[in-house]
Amino acid sequence: MTDLLEVNGVTKRFGGLTAVKNASFTLKKGEFTGILGPNGAGKTTLFNILTGFMQPTTGTIHFNGELVRELAPYKVVNRGMARTFQLTRPFVGMNLLENVLVACMSPRASEDKDKEARASYLLGQVGLGGRDKEPVETLPYGDLRRLEIARALATRPDLLLLDEPFAGLGSSEIEQLAQLIRRLHREENLTILLIEHKLREFMALVSRVIAMNFGEIIAVGPPEEIVKNEKVIEAYIGKTEEAHASA
Amino acid sequence: MKRIAPIDIAGGILVVAFLALLPMFAASNYLTGVLTVCVIYGIWASSWDFMSGLTGRENFGHSLFIGAGAYTAGFLSSIWSTNPWVSLPLGVVIAIAFSLLVGFPTLRLRGPYFALAMLSASAILQRLCLIFWEYTGGEEGIYGLDPLMKNPLHYYWFVLAILAVTVIALTLLAQSHWGLLLRAIRGDEATCQAAGINVTFYKIVSLMISAGFAGLGGALYAHYQLQVSPPLFSVVVSITVIIMVYVGGIGSIYGAAVAAILLTLLTEMLRGFGEYRLWIYTLTLMLILFFLPNGLIAPLWRRLTERLR
Ligand SMILES: Nc1ncnc2c1ncn2[C@@H]1O[C@H](COP(=O)(O)OP(=O)(O)OP(=O)(O)O)[C@@H](O)[C@H]1O
Ligand SMILES: [Mg+2]
Repeated sequence: MTDLLEVNGVTKRFGGLTAVKNASFTLKKGEFTGILGPNGAGKTTLFNILTGFMQPTTGTIHFNGELVRELAPYKVVNRGMARTFQLTRPFVGMNLLENVLVACMSPRASEDKDKEARASYLLGQVGLGGRDKEPVETLPYGDLRRLEIARALATRPDLLLLDEPFAGLGSSEIEQLAQLIRRLHREENLTILLIEHKLREFMALVSRVIAMNFGEIIAVGPPEEIVKNEKVIEAYIGKTEEAHASA
Repeated sequence: MKRIAPIDIAGGILVVAFLALLPMFAASNYLTGVLTVCVIYGIWASSWDFMSGLTGRENFGHSLFIGAGAYTAGFLSSIWSTNPWVSLPLGVVIAIAFSLLVGFPTLRLRGPYFALAMLSASAILQRLCLIFWEYTGGEEGIYGLDPLMKNPLHYYWFVLAILAVTVIALTLLAQSHWGLLLRAIRGDEATCQAAGINVTFYKIVSLMISAGFAGLGGALYAHYQLQVSPPLFSVVVSITVIIMVYVGGIGSIYGAAVAAILLTLLTEMLRGFGEYRLWIYTLTLMLILFFLPNGLIAPLWRRLTERLR
């Protein structure tokens, strides 16, 4: 297996705050990796840097062997790295089909000639089939997450970055969405990097976890090792349980 | 992608036919002249609406493109005595050149840069006309353009046909996948980026299209007035156009054209009220925009034809 993504010494400072500190890791093709970390650990910031929405203060990112640093976000997408947003960002005033159609217009999707058919198919793929004409305004949170995934898939990514897809969902919704993501990983030959701050969701899903705290990567390994890691226990488990208790 | 509904096509044909026949019932050429200006405003307003209405990037200096088209016609026809028909394509080209000049550096930025740059560029051009008065005729402007057609009624029909083509072309574009992207840009640029869309490219091209039609309208106006002067570049023209679009219903294109025609007619009809004219006009606008924040024409038309769709 070759490295699809190679992150080297990435640091991001906001004034005095270092949101991401000297982060280095690689993703292999076909891997399903999770990023774990409590609120404010720098997970979303790291995603923003990988996808070109923010420039790192220092460090380099190679995707498919190409340096992606300083590429505009849309260019990164067209190189095959697509993301979803933690706070879903649909196009309001448009229906579900149109929301996905926009992404079907990206240069990377130029092979898909019948854009409508492709968008409609993708809605079916994420479990929103037959609802093409529904407006997004009335969509429940779980469906908005699915829509975000359909939009990302429309750009035919090699690497899919999912920012807390399970946040705010009930346990049955989580199970359904997890199934969808698992299926995409298996059938569509996708490499997936998924952010989550509750350890529980990871265990069944990912094969490797990158644990972050205060902007630093503190541990990398399979989930069953991560739960036993001293630093991780110190940083998260207490908090995670608190979060569970309060949820 | 979307088709234009049959009822909209029928409505369009009726309005154009009505407008075409209207001057026949007037004794003098006065109404023909007024209607010609009305229709030219329709071209200006619908071209503004295509870029700014769809993408949400407000252009506060549409008069830059209008004036560019008009002065191109002025220089060509009056000073270099070219065939007046040359004015139309060249007016379009020069207006598009200006759109690149302003759009290229500012449309890649977020925030108010584009709106302000358009506003300043049009104001600068107005000043330049005065500064280089030896070439531009200063305050007086350029006189003695050749008319495109001898018969005013024929010219009116010609301009009306151009408005119809403008509205049809821009509406088809707005309803295509392209138009969908422009509306997506209005919605959320970051999401567009995440969808792999080169937002800047689409904004610049839509501004070029908008500028091209505005420049065409400017050249048509110049060949109607047979004269061009610096106020063509003024903020007043830009603001008037924007108000027309808001009254028409932003993003609808046909609404902008119809509102432009009605409001221009209204100004003309209010001439009899002398100095109260501006007050009545402003009050009417304020009432419309206050009670109908989505505009008057397009929402009204949609309401009336709801059952027929
Ligand atoms: N644009 C910004 N400007 C300044 N500070 C920022 C910016 N974006 C993020 N931060 C700060 O960087 C730190 C990391 O934020 P980030 O959103 O990456 O955390 P996260 O791990 O995604 O947290 P959460 O689980 O809450 O989503 C936080 O302290 C945050 O306040
Ligand atoms: Mg986050």
